[in-house]
Amino acid sequence: MGWVNAIIQGILTGGLYALFACGLSLMFGVMRVVNLAHGDLATVAGYIGVGVIAATRIPFLWSVPIVVVVMAAVGYVLQRTLIQAALRRGELTTLIVTFGLSMVIENGLLQFFSANSRGLGVNQAIVGASFSLGPQVQVAWLDVVIFALAVVVLLGLQYYLSSTKYGRLIRAVADDREAAQLAGADYRHVFGVAAAIAFATVALAGTAYGMTTTIDPTTGTDTILLFAFAAVVIGGLGSLWGTLLGGVVLGVAQQVGAQLNISYELLAGYAVFLVVLVVRPQGLTARRSQS
Amino acid sequence: MSEKLLELSHVTKRFGRVVIAEDLSLAVGAADAIGIVGPNGAGKTSLFGLISGDLSPDAGRVSLAGRTVTRLDAAARCRAGIGRTYQVPRPFAGMTVFENVLVAAQQGGGLRRKASYAAAGAALERTGIAGEANLPASRLGLLQRKRLEIARALATKPRLLLLDEVAGGLTDPEVTALVDIVRGINAEGIAVVWIEHVVRALTSFVTRLACLHAGQFVGDGAPAEVLASPRVREVYLGGDRGDQKS
Repeated sequence: MGWVNAIIQGILTGGLYALFACGLSLMFGVMRVVNLAHGDLATVAGYIGVGVIAATRIPFLWSVPIVVVVMAAVGYVLQRTLIQAALRRGELTTLIVTFGLSMVIENGLLQFFSANSRGLGVNQAIVGASFSLGPQVQVAWLDVVIFALAVVVLLGLQYYLSSTKYGRLIRAVADDREAAQLAGADYRHVFGVAAAIAFATVALAGTAYGMTTTIDPTTGTDTILLFAFAAVVIGGLGSLWGTLLGGVVLGVAQQVGAQLNISYELLAGYAVFLVVLVVRPQGLTARRSQS
Repeated sequence: MSEKLLELSHVTKRFGRVVIAEDLSLAVGAADAIGIVGPNGAGKTSLFGLISGDLSPDAGRVSLAGRTVTRLDAAARCRAGIGRTYQVPRPFAGMTVFENVLVAAQQGGGLRRKASYAAAGAALERTGIAGEANLPASRLGLLQRKRLEIARALATKPRLLLLDEVAGGLTDPEVTALVDIVRGINAEGIAVVWIEHVVRALTSFVTRLACLHAGQFVGDGAPAEVLASPRVREVYLGGDRGDQKS
């Protein structure tokens, strides 16, 4: 039964990892930007949540839309200024610039919030609520909710990109930004909108993480960014459903590793990541071939 | 010539020591059909870049219907009425043929909902690829891609259509069909400027021919006269300096 539990817990954790990864995947898929500040921005979203709740004393759930909107605005502005300027100088420059941004954010957070970890102060009754699926399988409601949230976010993104006017435009710009300009599309604005959407998902990821555990200034890089990368690489770059699959595979690998020996948790996750990189570098769900 | 639609005055562009355009001036009327010829590296495609906004000139002025567009980027110039095709078609490969044209109708044409769908459909009809509307653009062959390239430019509701070697690589009957499509577009009052190596495609259609060499016009006038001029013949036969492809 221990194994069944490990797999169920792993699948549910995979939802959180998919949420970590989908903003990273979107930014890469559309702008070809590997955002190394991705994890730190999720942490920032968590801190904004902490700040909003402390300042206004509104209930936690009310703070979520505020954080999402603020982060979306931050995404648009960052894309139109810093990241666009870096893109103009080549794709490699974006790596350096977002790495620098990551360091600035981490040190800024350390400066203002100290190295202490913080939680979002969600009611313990919510975090601890669980139901039983058998003698040894206890499932936390929160994990189920986060998994469902990840699925809803991915479904929503999928629908938006495939069936709406703006989604179609984002795909056109992602495909060929110069040709899109000749079709009358201002690609910089479209990039900004895509970044806003990516950052909105980052806000949800940071908030979800802050609900399940505590955050500190280095959480972004040492947990969120790494897991997001692993999920994206395992699942396949640019594929939204691959991201969910990647998250689930990573989550299950970690939990099964932990079942063998608690110290194997991270190791097992990265072992699977390495195996996928060697055996199937394009990821489990290979991207549609482009001519 | 009817009223001036596009005017380039004294446009100069250089990349380092490579001259793309040297004090170029060109006026295009509202319903003109102009052909541009010239050896490889003459600056033909770059000329289109300067008109469509892909390149910004070092000096000189570009204006459309009296409005200066020199500092506008490609997207804004497209919305102002300049449509362009690429020499090597660049469809949005991950989208259907219809979606390709729809994006152009909504962005470049500024149309909404039903009007954009109708305009996209009309552009596909016009170019003869309505039957392929729901195919992924990546599945199209060369001729169909070239038609899609024209359809996408057409859907932006251009007043001026820039065609970059759309006849290249096609068979004779295919070229004839394409010329008929372009002639129809021009007959509706859309000015056409057409770069082409397949000169017979041009001469069957254009009323004016300009020959570009090393960033300058060495001939401009009636097609037969321009092709017969000694300077143009020299540029084509003996004067090709083998610069990079235009």
